Amino acid sequence: MLRADDLVFAHPGQEEPYHFSLEAQPGEVTAISGASGSGKSTLLDLLAGFIAPVSGMLTLDGEDLLSLPPEARPVSLLLQADNLFEHLSAEENAALGLPRGTPKPTGQQLVAQALAEVGLAGFDTKQAANLSGGQKQRVALARTLLRDRPVLLLDEPFSALDDETRRTTRELVGALTRRHNWHTVLVSHHADDIAALASAHYRIVAGRLERV
Amino acid sequence: MLTLPHRPMRVAAATALTLIIAVLIAAVLWAILNAATDASGGSRVDIAHLLRMTALQAGLTMVLSLLVGTALAWALNRLRFAGRDLVVGLFAAAIVTPGMVVAFGLLSIWGRNGWINQASEVLFGIGFESPAYGLSGILLAHVILDGAFAGRILLARLDAIPQSRLKMGQSLGLSAWQRFALIDWPALRGSLPGLGAIIFLLAFTSFPIVLLLGGGPANQTLEVAIYTAVRLDFDLVGAVRLALTQIGVCSLVILLASAFTPVPSALSRSTQPRWRDSAPVRVLQWAVLVLGAIGFALPLLSVLYDGLTSGLLRVLGQAGFWRATGTSIIIGASSALLTLALALMLALGRSAAYRQGARVMLGIPAFAYLAVPAVVLSLGFFLLVRTTGVPVGTAAPVVVVIANSLLSLPFAIATLGPPLDAIIRTRGKLIRSLGLSGWTQFISIEYPLLGRDIGLMLALAFCFSLGDLGVIALFGTQDFQTLPLMMYRALGSYKSNDAAAIAALLLIFTIVAFVGLPRLIERISHASRR
Repeated sequence: MLRADDLVFAHPGQEEPYHFSLEAQPGEVTAISGASGSGKSTLLDLLAGFIAPVSGMLTLDGEDLLSLPPEARPVSLLLQADNLFEHLSAEENAALGLPRGTPKPTGQQLVAQALAEVGLAGFDTKQAANLSGGQKQRVALARTLLRDRPVLLLDEPFSALDDETRRTTRELVGALTRRHNWHTVLVSHHADDIAALASAHYRIVAGRLERV
Repeated sequence: MLTLPHRPMRVAAATALTLIIAVLIAAVLWAILNAATDASGGSRVDIAHLLRMTALQAGLTMVLSLLVGTALAWALNRLRFAGRDLVVGLFAAAIVTPGMVVAFGLLSIWGRNGWINQASEVLFGIGFESPAYGLSGILLAHVILDGAFAGRILLARLDAIPQSRLKMGQSLGLSAWQRFALIDWPALRGSLPGLGAIIFLLAFTSFPIVLLLGGGPANQTLEVAIYTAVRLDFDLVGAVRLALTQIGVCSLVILLASAFTPVPSALSRSTQPRWRDSAPVRVLQWAVLVLGAIGFALPLLSVLYDGLTSGLLRVLGQAGFWRATGTSIIIGASSALLTLALALMLALGRSAAYRQGARVMLGIPAFAYLAVPAVVLSLGFFLLVRTTGVPVGTAAPVVVVIANSLLSLPFAIATLGPPLDAIIRTRGKLIRSLGLSGWTQFISIEYPLLGRDIGLMLALAFCFSLGDLGVIALFGTQDFQTLPLMMYRALGSYKSNDAAAIAALLLIFTIVAFVGLPRLIERISHASRR
């Protein structure tokens, strides 16, 4: 279980610090909602390690995460946009998720499998700049599969997609979460995304997480 | 700043390099100061006059170049025609066009035996005093180069004006003057002080143009006076005093300039909607553009014509020419590669630095050359080499390569720094969360995205070195000379046909390198990923 226990953080000039506590179960999507500027992205930055809390605890199955830098945390990230490097192909972008030192033939095989799992078989050599918004998110999900980290942090990942692509990408995230037993934390202000995906739902109110 | 990828080695390497450059500059300054202390006896140099003259020509160059540049940018931003990209490229090449070549081209058009004087004698039977010598000639040559350079930089500012602002202006029916005052001027004025400071420094430290067109001591500048003091008058005391004055003034200008907005180096294509001005205004724009293009291109075309029709075969048959060409290419390539290594180390370290203080410190080497210009740097190295007892002939190639690299460093960092900063700013979080190694980050992400910028940087550094006269002038010997030095010596011994041919070849080499290198490197950087 991913557990945040009273993570306290304040941006410069912020009078009342945030106090975040939550629990996210494996194989489930935990949704976070809140008004603009309520601290949703700050919470994800704390979980990913981009900012450090003043106090509090963050553990995964009892193991401390706060002492780990962002690159060493068991976490993958999926943002609203800019998840890919546009000059690289789908295959090259996904391969950035492979563990260092993976032999090339093995890597190519794993990348092809991951792209097939997200429904992009045959897109290997297509340049990221030429992919649609939904395809880009799928490539990023393929990279997440290759990274094989148990926590997936999603920051408004469906906001830039059209209705149909949004629905299919959402379904893919749900299916991958269950299949790979990820602790998926979804930040969204779209009620339909939350209703379709989340097993648990927190709302940020006055700097604190409230279970809905 | 945990969002930045953790790259302590990059910061450490850049810090070490900054210290090495600082020690090098300190050694050069020490050599100059030491010589000043040791030297006894007087000197005949009139520093007050030289300072006045240098500041006057640099100030006038700055004002005139900004006016010409603004007019050219305004006309080019409005007009659309076949070959526009070629004209824009021509103005962009001004920064690398060797000053000697332009000066020579001016003489061939405006000189006593130039085209215009000959035409005047044939048509009207009268000749006139050549404006190509003295202050007018210096200003003309400087404005041709710096006005075109300013035009290209300011055009980038105008081309970057948001479409929404233009659409709103168009819908309001603004006149041409209102459009300039309300939309263009606010976009331009922020760049003018920084650009003006750069042009002032370029003119203040200009060497070959003043050497060729100055026409005697009355119009000498500090740089030329230092050269004259060392090579012709053997007045080391005077040279050292002049060098210290030069460093003082340049440092002051840099200090003032650092408060201004930096000049953008990214030159993108315009995607602005069409908004044509009225017919009379368009006539004025065409007039500005045609005059500007003729003013810039005519001296260069004249150099090509004179060079290719007069002494070309004679020069090509000289063993000395091929030796000088080989030396120029080897020194140019070595300087360009050294500049690339230095600029990459500094820019990568700077983009990885967490603290603002470290970022400022790692930016300082870029100013080293501007504060200690070519001739002064050469003088310092010259004194240093003499002090250490190393034979000048042995040290010369190394010194020339190092000095030329420092000369290109500000432009190299201005080219590579912003794209590297942008990659870290937009993708730093992603790179860090993926845990990419520094090598993977460079090879997979930074290098392919920098391909064209690296090519542009190599081209700039190669061309600067190819056209340099300031450094080689003090270190050159009969056995160690580059094309500009060979050209200068040909002019000095009245072999003007040889000089014309060398100028034409120098110009051709410069154009080929400036146009070809960025494309070549971009292709290589893309091919290496396949």
